[in-house]
Amino acid sequence: MERATARVEHKESRREPRELAILILSYAGLILLTLVFVTPLLWMLSTSFKTNLEATQLPPNWIPEDFTTEAYSTIFKTGQSQTPVLRWFLNSIVAASAHTALVLVTASMAAYALARINFPGRRLLFAAIITTLFIPQFVFLMPNYLIVDMFGWLDTLLAVIVPGAAGAFGVFFLRQFFVSMPHELEEAALVDGANRFQIFLRIILPLSKAPLATLAVLSFLVNWNDFLWPVYVLFSPKTLTLPPGLAILQNAYTTDYAVVMAGGVVASVPVLLVFILAQKYVIRGVSRSGLKG
Amino acid sequence: MANQNVERTEAQPSSRKRFDVGGRKPTDSNLLTPYLFMAPYLVLFGIFIVFPIFYGLWISLHNWDYLLPGKPWVGLQNYVDLFTPGSVTFEPFWKSMEATGKFTLYSVPLLVVIPLLVALILNQRFLGRNFFRTMYFAPYVLGVAVIGILWRYLLDTNVGLVNYYLGQLGLPDDIPWTNELPWAWIALVGSTVWWTLGFNAVIYLAGLQDIDPALYDAAKVDGANRWRRFLHVTLPGLRPILLFVITVTILASANVFGQAYLITEGAPGDETQTAIMYVAQEGLRNFKMGSAAAMSYVLALFLAVISIANFALFRYRED
Amino acid sequence: MSAGVGAGFVLAGCGGGPEDNPAVQQQAGAGSGKEYNGPKVKLSFWNGFTGGDGPFMRKMVEQFSSQEKNIDVTMNTVEWPEYYQKVPAAVSSGKGPDVAIMHIDTLPTNAARQVILPVDDVANALNLKKSDFFPVVWDAGIYEGHRYGIPLDVHPFGLFYNKDVMEKGGLDPDKPPQDKDEFMGALEQLKGKGIQGFWVPTVPTGPTWIFMTLLWQYGGELYNEDVTEAIWNSDAGVDALTWMVDVIKQGYSPKNVGEEAELIAFQNNKNAFVWSGIWNILPFRDAGVNYGAAPSPQIGSEKATWANSHNFVIPNKRGQDPHKIAAAKFFISWISHNSAEWAKAGQVPARDSARESSTFQNLELQNNLAQELPYVHFPPSVPGIGDVQTQALDPAVNEVLLFEKESKAALDESASQADQLLKENRQKYQA
Repeated sequence: MERATARVEHKESRREPRELAILILSYAGLILLTLVFVTPLLWMLSTSFKTNLEATQLPPNWIPEDFTTEAYSTIFKTGQSQTPVLRWFLNSIVAASAHTALVLVTASMAAYALARINFPGRRLLFAAIITTLFIPQFVFLMPNYLIVDMFGWLDTLLAVIVPGAAGAFGVFFLRQFFVSMPHELEEAALVDGANRFQIFLRIILPLSKAPLATLAVLSFLVNWNDFLWPVYVLFSPKTLTLPPGLAILQNAYTTDYAVVMAGGVVASVPVLLVFILAQKYVIRGVSRSGLKG
Repeated sequence: MANQNVERTEAQPSSRKRFDVGGRKPTDSNLLTPYLFMAPYLVLFGIFIVFPIFYGLWISLHNWDYLLPGKPWVGLQNYVDLFTPGSVTFEPFWKSMEATGKFTLYSVPLLVVIPLLVALILNQRFLGRNFFRTMYFAPYVLGVAVIGILWRYLLDTNVGLVNYYLGQLGLPDDIPWTNELPWAWIALVGSTVWWTLGFNAVIYLAGLQDIDPALYDAAKVDGANRWRRFLHVTLPGLRPILLFVITVTILASANVFGQAYLITEGAPGDETQTAIMYVAQEGLRNFKMGSAAAMSYVLALFLAVISIANFALFRYRED
Repeated sequence: MSAGVGAGFVLAGCGGGPEDNPAVQQQAGAGSGKEYNGPKVKLSFWNGFTGGDGPFMRKMVEQFSSQEKNIDVTMNTVEWPEYYQKVPAAVSSGKGPDVAIMHIDTLPTNAARQVILPVDDVANALNLKKSDFFPVVWDAGIYEGHRYGIPLDVHPFGLFYNKDVMEKGGLDPDKPPQDKDEFMGALEQLKGKGIQGFWVPTVPTGPTWIFMTLLWQYGGELYNEDVTEAIWNSDAGVDALTWMVDVIKQGYSPKNVGEEAELIAFQNNKNAFVWSGIWNILPFRDAGVNYGAAPSPQIGSEKATWANSHNFVIPNKRGQDPHKIAAAKFFISWISHNSAEWAKAGQVPARDSARESSTFQNLELQNNLAQELPYVHFPPSVPGIGDVQTQALDPAVNEVLLFEKESKAALDESASQADQLLKENRQKYQA
C-alpha cells in the first residue's frame, strides 16, 4: 500500500508541469468562455444608453459616445403608450410573486401529505402526479386556453398566475426533501397531541427553509420568463407581462435598437439580481433535479 | 399528561415502531387530514392538468372554433388529415416537424458535448470556480424573450455585432442570419447553445462531483491516463446524468418556440417555423383548435417514442 | 363574380339572426351616430395601423378627442397578423375594443362569430347610401342581410414605377406601361440594358394578390356562384400563373425573390416596376425614391385589380355600456366625414364626397389609383374565406413561383383543398 501511494506521488510530481499547463489552458479557456457569455449582455446594457443613431452605426462604440437615457424615457412613457414597459414590469412582478406564493402553498401541503402521511391511494396519487411531469407543455395549450376563457381569465393576470401552478415539479421536489427528514420530531409532536396542520406549520416548514427558498426562486424565474403561454392569453397593452411585451416592443421599434435593448435591460435586471443573490438556491435546485432524475 | 406519554412510549418500543411506519394512529387527527392537505393542489392539478388531457383529446375530434357555437364532430379526421398527403394540414405540419427535427438534430449534440467539456474543466479544484459557473449559467435565467431580442440585434445583417466582427476578421460581413438558410439555422442553434449551455453544465457538474474520487485514485494507480480515466470512470459514473441531460435537451429542443418566433419569425418563408409555432398558429390564431390539438398529440407521441427509445438505449448499453 | 353575390347570398343561420342578440337590441336604442349627448366616456379603438399610416390615424383621433370633450378615444395598434386572433378573443372575453377597424373580407367571419355588431342604423344615420360609394365596396360589407362595416377606405393594387430606373433603361418616365404589350416591351428594353425590371415576389401574400388580379383580368373567377367550389384552376388561372412564371423564366425577374425584396430593390433603384398596394406610397416617399403610381397594367383581356378595404366595426362586447356604443357610432361618423385626411396616409377614401374633395384631388398618386375603383374585386362575403385563401391558395402560388410545382397541378391540388375547406367552413359556421 505504501509503495503504491509512493508510486502515485512520484508519478504525480513528475507530471506537475503538465498539470500546470493544463490548468493554465483551462483558465484561459474559461476566461474566454466567460467573455462569450458576458459581452453580449454588456453590449445590451451599453446600447440601451445610446441614441438610436449611435446604436445602428458602425464601427460600434462599446462605450456610448452620446450617453443618453432617451431610450428609457421612451419605454417608461406612461399615458397612451403602446408599449408601457413599466406597466409590464409591474405585471410581471405581480404575476411571478402570486404564482410563487400559490406554488409554495399548494405544493408544500401536498408534498407533505404524500411524504409523511400514509393514507389510502397515496402511492397511486403520487404516481399519477409524477407521470404528468413527462407530458410536454404544448399538449395543454389548447384545452387550457379554453378553460381559462371559461373562467373569464383571458387577458387578465390570473391566466398567467394560476394554470402554471398545477405543474408537478414543486410537489416532486418538496416531497423528496420531506421524505428525507427525520421522523422523531413529528412523532414527539403527535404524541403531544398536536394535529397535522400544527406539525406542518410549526415543525416541518421552519425546517424546510432551504428547499422552499429554492422552489420559490425557481418558480419565480420560470413564471417571469414564461413566453409561449402569455403571448396567446394576454392581449391588451396594459395586461402584458414583460416577455410578450418585449416581442411587441421589438415589432414596434424594429430598428430603434436602443429602445429594444432598454426593454431587454429592464427585463433582465430583476432576474439577474434574484440570481446573484440566490444563486446558491438556483444552482442547487437545478443540480438536484439532475441527480434525482 | 406529557410525562405519562413519554413514559408510555419509552416503555413500549413496539408502539414507536408503529409511529415510524406512520400508520393510522388514534392521535393523528382525522382521516380527512391528508386529503385536506392535498386538496388545494389537487384542485389545480385536476383542472389544469388532468382534465385538459382528456378535454384536448375531445377537442381534437371536432372542428373546434371556440368563437362559434357549432363545433361539428369529425371523428378522427383531424388525425387522418395529418397523414394524408394533399390535405390542407399535411404539408405545413410535416414541414414544421421537419424544422423542429432539424433544430433538435443540430442542437442536441452540441448541448450534450460542450457543456460536458466545460463541466470537466470546472470540476478541477481551482480558484474562482464558482464565479465561472455563475457566469455561464447567467444567460439561462434571462428567459427566451431577452435572448431572442438580444440575438436578433446581434445578428442583424447590417448593424449587428456579429457581422461587424466577422468583417474585421476578413470574413464576409453581410451574412443574412435571420432570413436565409443555412444561416438561420446557425443563428437559432447558436443562440440556443449560448442560452442553455450553462444549465446543462451545472447538471453535469453535480453529477461529476457525485463520482467517488477513490475511483479516480484507483485508476491512477492502475496507470490510467486522463483519457482512459475519463472513459472508464467518468463516463460510466455519469451514465444516469447523461441520460437525463440527453432526454431533457431533446425534449426542450422539440419545444423550441421563442427563439424562432423572435429571431427568424419562421423565415425564410416557413423554413424555420417550428412545430410548436405551427400548432399555436393553427389553434390560437386561426382558431382551428381541433386540428391543432390533434397535432399536439401526434407530436407528443413522437416525443414519447423518442424518450422511450433513449431510455432503452441506455438500458441496453448498461447490460 | 362580383361582390354583388354577397348581397344576394343568404346563408342559413342557426336559429335566430342578429335581431335575437340581446346586445343588438340594446344598441338599437343607443343612438345612431348623428351626435353624442351622453355622459363622458372613454373609448378603446383598436386597429392594425402599425406602419406609416398609423400616425395619420392617431392625429385624426387626437383631433376628434380635442373637439369632442365628452369622448376620450385611446388608440391601440396590434400587428395585423395577430390582430384577427386578439380582437375576437378579447371581445369574447369582454375586454376588447369599443370600436375597431377590420378588413372588409374578414367581416363575414367575424359577424358569424358574433364578434361584431350590425351597423345598419349607423349607415342610415350617416345617410350613407350605396350611391355614396362604389357598389362593390358597399355590398361587400353586407352579411346575411345586415351591414357590418362602414367603409373607411379602399386600398387597391397599383403599378409603382421608378422614374430614375426607367430613364436609365431608355423608357419615358412619365409613361408607365398600362397594357400587356407596353409592359412586356418595357421589360424587354430594360433587360437589354441589364436591368431586371419587374421582380416577381414569391412570399405570400403579395404574389397571391398579383395572381388574383391576373386571374380576373384573364376573365376567370376565384369561386363559383354559390361559393361551394374554388375555380381558380381554370384556364384563366393557369394563364395567370404561367405569365408570372414566364416573367421569371425570361429573365425579367430574379428567382426566389425574398420577403419584400422587390420593394427594397425598388427603393435602391435596382428594378423599375413594383406591383403592390397603395400603402407603399408613404414608405417609397420616405425612402426618397423618384417614383410615380398608376393603375395596374392590364395584362389580360379585362380591367381588374385586387383591393381590400378598411372598415369601421363595432365589437360585440359582453355587457357593453350603451353610451359607449352611441359614442362609438358618433366617432365613426366623424372620421368618415373627415376621411379625406386619411387619404394622406396613402389610402383612397371609400366615400365619394371625400374623393371629390380638393384635399384628395391634390394627392396625385392616390388620385391615380382611385381611377381603379370601378373595377376592383373583393373576395366573396363568406365567413372563413380568408382562411381558404391562406391555407390553400397562398402555398400553391408560392410553390409554383419557386419552381417546385407546375402551375396546373398546383392550382388543381389547391382547388380541391379549398373545396374541402369551404365544406368544413359551411358546416362549422352553420351549426
